[in-house]
Amino acid sequence: MRKALVWLGLAMMGLVALPAAPAPAADLEKVRISIIPIGDVAPLFAAVQNGYFREVGLEIDTTPSAGGAAGIPGLVGGSFDIAYGNVVSALLAAQQGLDVKVIAAGTNVTDPKLDATGIFAKSDSGIKSGKDLEGKSIAVNTRNNVIWLYARAWVKATGGDPERVTFKEVPFPQMEDALRQSRVDAAFMVPPFSIVAAQKGGLSKVGMPYSDVQPGVDVGQYITTGKLLAARPDTVKKFVAALRKGIEWYNANLTNEALLTLISGYTKADVALLKLAPVPTAPVRSDISQIRKTMQLMIESKLLPAPLDLDKIVDPLAR
Amino acid sequence: MSAMDGLAGVREKRSSRRSGPNGMDRRAYGFLLLAVLLSFWELSSRAGWIVSAYWPPVSHIFAAAIAQLAGGEILLALASTLRRAAIGYIAASVAGIVLGIVLARNRVLRYGLLPLIEIVRPMPTPAVIPPLILFLGVDDALKIFIVALASFFPIFSNTFTGVAAIDDTLIQTARTFRTSTVRLLARVVFPATLPAIAAGLRTATSLCLVVAVLSEMIAGSSGIGYYLVETQYAMRPDLMYAAVLYLAATGYALNRIFLALEARMVPWMGRS
Repeated sequence: MRKALVWLGLAMMGLVALPAAPAPAADLEKVRISIIPIGDVAPLFAAVQNGYFREVGLEIDTTPSAGGAAGIPGLVGGSFDIAYGNVVSALLAAQQGLDVKVIAAGTNVTDPKLDATGIFAKSDSGIKSGKDLEGKSIAVNTRNNVIWLYARAWVKATGGDPERVTFKEVPFPQMEDALRQSRVDAAFMVPPFSIVAAQKGGLSKVGMPYSDVQPGVDVGQYITTGKLLAARPDTVKKFVAALRKGIEWYNANLTNEALLTLISGYTKADVALLKLAPVPTAPVRSDISQIRKTMQLMIESKLLPAPLDLDKIVDPLAR
Repeated sequence: MSAMDGLAGVREKRSSRRSGPNGMDRRAYGFLLLAVLLSFWELSSRAGWIVSAYWPPVSHIFAAAIAQLAGGEILLALASTLRRAAIGYIAASVAGIVLGIVLARNRVLRYGLLPLIEIVRPMPTPAVIPPLILFLGVDDALKIFIVALASFFPIFSNTFTGVAAIDDTLIQTARTFRTSTVRLLARVVFPATLPAIAAGLRTATSLCLVVAVLSEMIAGSSGIGYYLVETQYAMRPDLMYAAVLYLAATGYALNRIFLALEARMVPWMGRS
């Protein structure tokens, strides 16, 4: 028995020694991108799969980070060239004096019918608005981020005082359980979790913070640093051009099974699960007026002390 | 420290296994409890006592575990986690043992370095990951450093106290024979401290795996830690729990390997 275990251990050490590096592609410039493995980055993967980056001489090396927490620190620290992240993180980074530049649009919410995000509450709780949530709690994935900001804005827009609502940090996958067990009174959920939660009954969608508060909100962007943009302007230009081709393919194939297979490939989610959620269109350009509105909300929630110069943060490439 | 408790537990286990025919029965009880708990899990999920997307029946988890093996992905993830854990562990072992012996024997260095070590020691590892990303990136350097940092302390403190506890007669005897300092450290202090060092190494063995997985959950894109978060977000709890199963098996195997090696290499363990 003991001998067998020693051999097992040695076999494992053998595995450890396996080389992990994939074969490098010749003559392609490598671009390292931090992503979040969710539907938002489907256009990027579409562009990779269809060879749009290869055509312009780029090789895309994506590093998924589940919460997106490593994105901006990794970008500033030089581990990544580009990071996909949300608008609030980008503006917060700029506020802290980090040299971030928005170079391309990622996701926005234009059509309420395609907005699968929402604030959910138990159907028998009687919660219908932000006013009803005063003295109660809402689950958000992280405090001081985009979800938290729009949950607060929604509470305010529906007659409540955000200061009187408790915001509890619960990871997206655990929100439904927390809600059903009454550990929180409401939860701001995103697909696929919101879709699965709604299907099982007992929970109701009481609001759609993005669509209710700010139709057309630019939620996600591709960000780089001013330093990299100055040092490798052509690389960034090529990246944005190829990404736009990916966005166009994505928008033309929203109901195509191939798109769901693509998303399933990098998220590990079942195609059957993905089919439940509507696939939203992706923006080709960033809308600076929408980013300005988000900035105003951030000032109201005291995430920012004063307005930032958005013309410096949002590069002309993105517009 | 817990290292000592763990060690005591091992000795008890070793002797109980040798002691008489009852040992086998006692083990069977343990497995029985495990089987009862697992069937309770299976039942609670199938009968709908617990309604959650994250509470699949155990049978689904075992099925997923077998399917995972066929794909090979889980083995690659496990290998990359083990590789990071191993490199960090080895670095921590060297640093911990050397510093432990040197600091215990040299007053000047002890006064210089001990305050720093004592201040860094209580810092929770997860708390230092975000600032470290800035300096070390999100790849291997970060994770190996964190593993090494966490594994260093049990090895260092066990070595340090082990050296301090050496019977002075041993050292005085060596001195009488005018043994040089280097020789004294290598031939007298080190062997006499080995049982304490082994205790520290064993604590670090389980710790290095835990910390490697943890660091992968916070940053990066490979290894079991990342796999756990990824499958959680993909709503595949069967794959997630199956990975946890492999992780538990790995931790168990590592511990057994350590015990086997220890019995072979430190035969005077517990007899000093």
